[in-house]
Amino acid sequence: MASRKVVRDGVARVLSGRKARRGPRSAAERVSGLLVMLPWVLERKRVKLADMAKQFKLTEAELMADIMMAAMCGVPPYSPDALIDVFVDEDEVVAEVPSVFSRPLQLNTAEVFALVTMGQAAMKLAGADTSGPLATALAKVRPLLPDDSMVVVDIANIKFLSELRQALSPAEQVTITYFAPSTATRTERTITPRAVFEDAGNWYVSADDNLSGERRVFRVDRIEALTRTGVLAPKFGEPDEVDSDGPEWFGDAVQHVTLRVAPRGRWVVESYPFVSRVQESDGSSVVEMAVSSEHWLGRLLLRAGNDVQVVEPAQFADLGKRTAQSVLRRYGK
Amino acid sequence: MMNLLALLVQRSQPLTLKQIRQELGNQYSASDTAARAAFERDKNDLRQMGIPIEMITLGGDSAGEGAYKVDRRKFELSDLRLTDAERDALQMAVATIRLGASHGDEALWKLGGERALNTPSTSVNVQLDDGIMPALAAGVVEHRTLNFSYKGEKRRVDPYGLLARNGFWYIVGFDHLRSAQRVFRVDRIEGKLEAGDKGSFQRPEGFDLSKAVPTEQEMLAEGDGQTPTAVVLVDATLASGVRREFGDGAVAKERTDGSIEFVIPCANMDAFRLWLFAMVDRAEVLSPPAIRAQVIEWLTLQAKGN
Repeated sequence: MASRKVVRDGVARVLSGRKARRGPRSAAERVSGLLVMLPWVLERKRVKLADMAKQFKLTEAELMADIMMAAMCGVPPYSPDALIDVFVDEDEVVAEVPSVFSRPLQLNTAEVFALVTMGQAAMKLAGADTSGPLATALAKVRPLLPDDSMVVVDIANIKFLSELRQALSPAEQVTITYFAPSTATRTERTITPRAVFEDAGNWYVSADDNLSGERRVFRVDRIEALTRTGVLAPKFGEPDEVDSDGPEWFGDAVQHVTLRVAPRGRWVVESYPFVSRVQESDGSSVVEMAVSSEHWLGRLLLRAGNDVQVVEPAQFADLGKRTAQSVLRRYGK
Repeated sequence: MMNLLALLVQRSQPLTLKQIRQELGNQYSASDTAARAAFERDKNDLRQMGIPIEMITLGGDSAGEGAYKVDRRKFELSDLRLTDAERDALQMAVATIRLGASHGDEALWKLGGERALNTPSTSVNVQLDDGIMPALAAGVVEHRTLNFSYKGEKRRVDPYGLLARNGFWYIVGFDHLRSAQRVFRVDRIEGKLEAGDKGSFQRPEGFDLSKAVPTEQEMLAEGDGQTPTAVVLVDATLASGVRREFGDGAVAKERTDGSIEFVIPCANMDAFRLWLFAMVDRAEVLSPPAIRAQVIEWLTLQAKGN
């Protein structure tokens, strides 16, 4: 299964990507795919087999087999409009003559819902052009839904987000004052933003960081000051491919811990990334997490109280207890 | 299956299964029973793809016999006249707002567009399970009552709206079990989600989706606790974040070292504990004494390893 890891609060999360196919595709799946692909390729007339296979998430062999299946279709009296005129010429898929399946299928409710929801959410992003092509496209698509008014994606446009997005292209260096709560330290850094993303309600910027000399992920709400320098940065590598369901964000010095989480503590599993989870018969879960900071784990254990216990490694078995003792000292105890 | 569809689309008159078998030659088995079973399977698959195959019961010499037809206008997309720039904008929106992999891509393809193959520089993760999305979408936009299990109970819910906030999706709707409006976390739905008939309910006038799901601050205030608020001293390092979260109205006193005393709702003590301990030893409850004592008791129990 395709997966990606996201670092949030020092924790790497594995998110499942699109499902890998298992076994051969059914006839229905193949026909359903063809009914989408045939009008699509007809509009383009000629498409490289490799490009089309990639676009539709098929292997070239699968696409070739589907094209051949379509080419063999036809009904009496076998006039041109009753045949599907599609074939592979060298390395190109060719469909130049309109046939029985020239028009695309209607969008189903889930597809229109997805499109409108994503479009409306994109319109809320800082810096979005609210009267541009996305707005006019949505105005054309929205009438396909009987009721489009009751889906809301709550996106917080926090301070500096707009500046960071503007600095993405062309890549421009910015200087920031960054506060790290785990060490209670502030640092001045010059970073080159490469990607800005929101996950679980928090905004992050992935950037080339001159202080560490590495690509780092910073939480945008921990940036206390930001100044654009006007200095353009050199292009950094090739763009990431989206097929892995997004870029990979790796934390540094990641350590794996195994936790036993009681039913009352399930918010831990729901809120934070985990590598694996085994459900026990008593309703508890044994969860493996990747943690890059002892401080972060101590905080989690303190918040969860008796609902979460460290199974291993042994060095963290009493971390919740130690963290509670340190907070008690603040209360003079 | 494609030949069956092509045939039904091509013919202006409805066709009986017998006629279909004659037209399609040996596509279906010579055995009547096997041919009927294969035809029913194809018909069902095509309907699942959104192609309405209508059945007409014939009269006259063929009285009682079923005949089938497909009206292409009922499954073909009318031209939305999207410009290239509009298709590009939709592609960018689908790549940026990560709702789910398949439905957005399928929509783009049907509109003649392409899914983005490169990672956009901005992305928002609001993933909804691809398997659950069709029923959820149908429930909200077509006003279908949803049936699902939640916290071990069977629920029938009229979904008034869907909200994505802080990484979670919520259904807000009328819960027939409780006879009241309730909020359900989509990721906590147990097992299958089924949508009932179209147009099963009406949303109340003036329903406000964004106010129906409590924010973190509102959750701190919603509880049975005897004490509505506590004064919490937050160190300078975290004070600006708390101020941003609760606003200037929550500031009781700014100290010279940069730390701030805030007045924070604490009627929901479970939520208050989670919020307070997220700051570990950089925050301290100053008053009222009962809340401070409660915090010390929690810490003492945990420090003893109980």
